Amino acid sequence: MSTHTKMAAKRKAPDSRTETDAANGRRRSPTRVNPALYLFPLPAVAIIAFFLVMPTLQAFQYAITDWNGFSAAFNYVGLDNFVRAFTKDSLFTNALTNNLKFVLMVVIAQTAFSLVLALLLTKNSRGSILLRALFFFPTILSSVSVAFIWKFIYDPNFGLANAVLDGVGLEALQGSYLGNNAQALYWVAVTQVWFHAGQMMVVYIAGLQAIPRELYEAAEMDGAGKWQQFKSITWPFVAPATSIVVAYTTVQSFKAFDLILGIAGNPPKQSLDILSTRIYSTFANSEFGYAAAQSIIFMAMIALVTWLQRRLLRLTPKGE
Amino acid sequence: MSQISRRQAIAILGALGFGATAAACAGPGGTTGPGGATGPAAPATGAVTGKVSFAHWRGEDKAVFDELIKRFAALHDGVEVVQDISTSNDYNAQGLQKVRGAAIGDAFATFRGAQFKNFTEAGIYTELKGSKAAANYQPGLLTAGQSGDSQLGLPYQVVFPMPMANADLFDKAGAEIAPKDWDGFLAMCEKLAASGVIPISWPGGDVGNGGQLFNCMIANNAPVDDMCAQIEQGKLKCTDDWFLKMLGQYKDLVPYLQPNATGTAVEPAQNLFSQGKAAMLATGSYHLAAVRGLGATFPIELVFPNTSDGSGKFEGAYNATFILGVNSASKNQAASAAWIDFLSEPGNAGYYANQTAQHVAVNGVEYTNADLKRLSPWLDKKTALAARFQFQNLDVRNAVEASATAVISGTSPDQAAEAAQKIVDERL
Repeated sequence: MSTHTKMAAKRKAPDSRTETDAANGRRRSPTRVNPALYLFPLPAVAIIAFFLVMPTLQAFQYAITDWNGFSAAFNYVGLDNFVRAFTKDSLFTNALTNNLKFVLMVVIAQTAFSLVLALLLTKNSRGSILLRALFFFPTILSSVSVAFIWKFIYDPNFGLANAVLDGVGLEALQGSYLGNNAQALYWVAVTQVWFHAGQMMVVYIAGLQAIPRELYEAAEMDGAGKWQQFKSITWPFVAPATSIVVAYTTVQSFKAFDLILGIAGNPPKQSLDILSTRIYSTFANSEFGYAAAQSIIFMAMIALVTWLQRRLLRLTPKGE
Repeated sequence: MSQISRRQAIAILGALGFGATAAACAGPGGTTGPGGATGPAAPATGAVTGKVSFAHWRGEDKAVFDELIKRFAALHDGVEVVQDISTSNDYNAQGLQKVRGAAIGDAFATFRGAQFKNFTEAGIYTELKGSKAAANYQPGLLTAGQSGDSQLGLPYQVVFPMPMANADLFDKAGAEIAPKDWDGFLAMCEKLAASGVIPISWPGGDVGNGGQLFNCMIANNAPVDDMCAQIEQGKLKCTDDWFLKMLGQYKDLVPYLQPNATGTAVEPAQNLFSQGKAAMLATGSYHLAAVRGLGATFPIELVFPNTSDGSGKFEGAYNATFILGVNSASKNQAASAAWIDFLSEPGNAGYYANQTAQHVAVNGVEYTNADLKRLSPWLDKKTALAARFQFQNLDVRNAVEASATAVISGTSPDQAAEAAQKIVDERL
């Protein structure tokens, strides 16, 4: 037997033994290893158990109690907190509705805006690079700074928005912005899009730059117009990026806690209350058990929406 | 060393993880604070030494407290006071969790209302009845720190949550600065508007500061003094006539507020007042220092929007917040209590008051700050204790106050009242 054949036989040996054992109805004997090796994952297991598993399980436990957050006394109330959230708490359902509206607005606007930006700024010219940097700039700011900048822009008395409208003779369009309950959420959505569109633009630019130029040259030779090229070449290639952008934007919009609190104050008024700010208010209101139940609903909603998106937006380039 | 199988190792790790998790899930709550069953005890006595953590939310007072700490340390060898300052929102939301174990907050402050109640129920206060400090306060101003027969906290500051007025603009407009009834108040606003200024700058976009006007508007309208507590308990309703009358009076204010008042944050509202564009700032005397800081040099008075027909019970509104207490879980109660005693001495309270432009509830304080001096007569007037802090449930408070904001933004009083009552009913 050649050396090569011997080695191959050696490699095959365990499989042969397993098959034999299985045929004999015996279980494979466990691998014996030095127990000291199992100490290595212990710190990681401890950290995950302590900071992730325990708090999550505790949240589930609190969610079925009426614990107020500080008293030693509490009662188990079953699913009452979950039922209350959907049937007896208009502030929660209002926050839920606001949050879904906010997510929808931001996802549509941010996806479209960042794609348009990416299409306009894909070329590596000096001007494009400068503009890309400008649009990316908000991403590096903290959300609290962004909130304060836009709070100033929207201020009806001293704000930039009304001053600009005044300057160009459009006083009639001046508004109260955040003071108008019917519009306030839209204006915060504008801020959120401004804040994150640059980041999503980068994802799209990466996708666009991966498209072979020959495809466009061939399309042009075939007489395809710009729209035809976008539909048949660009979109199929950037579709996977779109599913990333949509998923990321959705989760981000669900958790726009810091931006809302910074721009609207604490507590935000009802027209700007979203799930995360509502949960915070419930904790602050010493309803710890109920807030835990709301947190679990919130977590389940994000998981569900993300899963649905993955199911619905299986966007892959043609041919893959 | 004997060897174990992978399966055994995983089983051991799993058991350890499960055990730790189960132990952590033993039950919410924890140990009760001392004092719960037998009632609060007075702070322990002993040597005034060691480290005292003083927890509060007034970052703007840090330098003043630093100076007072220096003076306190000069009186007692080996004592150190450290300030643990949170923002007011954080303190409101997390204050109890922070001080309950006394890792911080050997001595601490609380807000009046829900927070004071929560601290009381958690057994965090010691009994200050009969203490050296309590004897220095005006008895009538101590009620906000009482629970049953106990004096758990000492309400330190006295603020007037009433519109501040630019007296120069009032003189120029020939407007009455102390209207006797609602018609008089509206006539005063009319004169101010006619003189070319915004009568009232109101930060309707800021829930906390915008809500202070509510204390004035409800004082003489409500049938009882504990009206907000009764709304929360379902005994009174936002749809009652008296409440609707108050919302109607809010509607009367609309022409006299700055445009887009419901979208105005507190800083722009302060600026309108400081720059002389608005004659009144409808927040409270606690903004005196901020307004002076923005450059206001005019004489400042207080105005009570008297909603009565002239027979109202109250001439104004006040609030006693920043309630000082000694932590029952503190290991250094003697020094903590001594620090509270020190703050409550007229000389030190006076220093605090004059430096921060806040009145205090301590007797015998000499106000040298010009604004405090001018506004001191309000300490002796018949003023209502700010009603909005009677609410124990913050959702109810926000909903009831939001009904007033809704009216300002154009909702009818009936609709606004019904929307508020719906939330109150849900929480009964």
